[in-house]
Amino acid sequence: MITLNGIRNAVWCAIAFGIVACASTPMPVEKLAVAKTSIERAEQAQAAQFAQIELTSARNKYAAAQAAADKHDAEVAARMADQADIDAQLAESTARAKQQQQLVNEMDAGLRDLRKETLRDKPGAGAQAPQPATTAPPQP
Amino acid sequence: MKRTLIATAVASVLLGIAGCETAPESDALLEQARTSVAQAQADPNVSKYAPTELDRARKLLINAESSAKQKGAKDKTAAHYAYLTTQMARIAEQRAQEQVATARIKSGEIERKEILLTARESDADRALAQARTAQSQAEQARSDAQSSRAQTLQAQTLQAQAESERLAKELENMQASLTARGIVLTLDDVLFDTGKAQLKAGAQRSLDQIAAFLSENPERRVQVEGFTDAQGTNDYNLELSQSRADAVAMAIIQRGIDAQRVRALGYGEEFPVASNAVAGSRQLNRRVEIIVSNSDQAIPGRAGSGAP
Repeated sequence: MITLNGIRNAVWCAIAFGIVACASTPMPVEKLAVAKTSIERAEQAQAAQFAQIELTSARNKYAAAQAAADKHDAEVAARMADQADIDAQLAESTARAKQQQQLVNEMDAGLRDLRKETLRDKPGAGAQAPQPATTAPPQP
Repeated sequence: MKRTLIATAVASVLLGIAGCETAPESDALLEQARTSVAQAQADPNVSKYAPTELDRARKLLINAESSAKQKGAKDKTAAHYAYLTTQMARIAEQRAQEQVATARIKSGEIERKEILLTARESDADRALAQARTAQSQAEQARSDAQSSRAQTLQAQTLQAQAESERLAKELENMQASLTARGIVLTLDDVLFDTGKAQLKAGAQRSLDQIAAFLSENPERRVQVEGFTDAQGTNDYNLELSQSRADAVAMAIIQRGIDAQRVRALGYGEEFPVASNAVAGSRQLNRRVEIIVSNSDQAIPGRAGSGAP
């Protein structure tokens, strides 16, 4: 039952489909690559520890973007890739900010101890120095 | 056939929900985007440390707003841009926080150095203060010692002076006079009976004082010289004057003064101090002079005859 005409029609159809698919919605390969790089940067910045929610969101959206790309849904893939990218950027900057703040807290504690020590050594201040913990300095 | 249709409808509804990648409330997303940008703009640290990210957020918000205007607030593109806007605003805030923390760490390093420096300085100050205290204490001790030594010396000097003055006054009472030969004390004849060499009791006190003076001044020597008036023979007078000088010398020696330091000489009627013509002045010539040396040297003899 398969006629030569039928095969020819099918080929034409396939060609036409392919052209339409390629021309109207090109897959956002570049956006996906950008999102992937951003996620890697976030991982390097220890986002898994310091910005878990943002990193997970980025990973999920990247997966969704890939899935959309696999389904040839370029529009959704592009949006998902963009969102994955910006989530990864947020994960990275949040992780960096938190780590830096941790350093600040450690430093402040160190300075407090240092001040206490040097104050205690001072003659005359020795009477007040041993219990300055009652008035804890404000934390920033 | 009917069941198949229902199943297809349910599946398509589910698919439709799954297909919406972001929540359909893009109105809320847009509102959230606006708030996020406003919040980031209000933070002076964001415009200071993350101006690029803030600018990107603003541009994304404009895109979101225009998409919403063109295609309606429910449009996927508008919702998408709204989401990107919110995230970018948050990125700007996180970048700013990171920079603030970095700046704080830098200032903390300076603070740390200052504390250590101050501590070191105060250590040095303390050491210096201690050294100064020790020094001033040492100086105080030294000056105390000096002043106490000075006080002792002064006290000793004062005591010695007072003693000398006292002795001088005592000797003065005995008609002492300071001469080149030494201190000369004159005992008048009332201490002797006429023609006798025996000392009367009235002389005892004067002799005690002389003996005390000599024992306190062991380097001084004493010479006792006896004189008479011109009455009687020369030999008699010489003998009498010698006897009286001996008696006085003996009295001094008896009071514990070494005989080596005591010398007795009789000059008779020589070296009169007053006229022998008048009875009143003749009495002045009848005398015993006790000469206490100024130093440990022997008392020089009297000029003229009769000198030993």
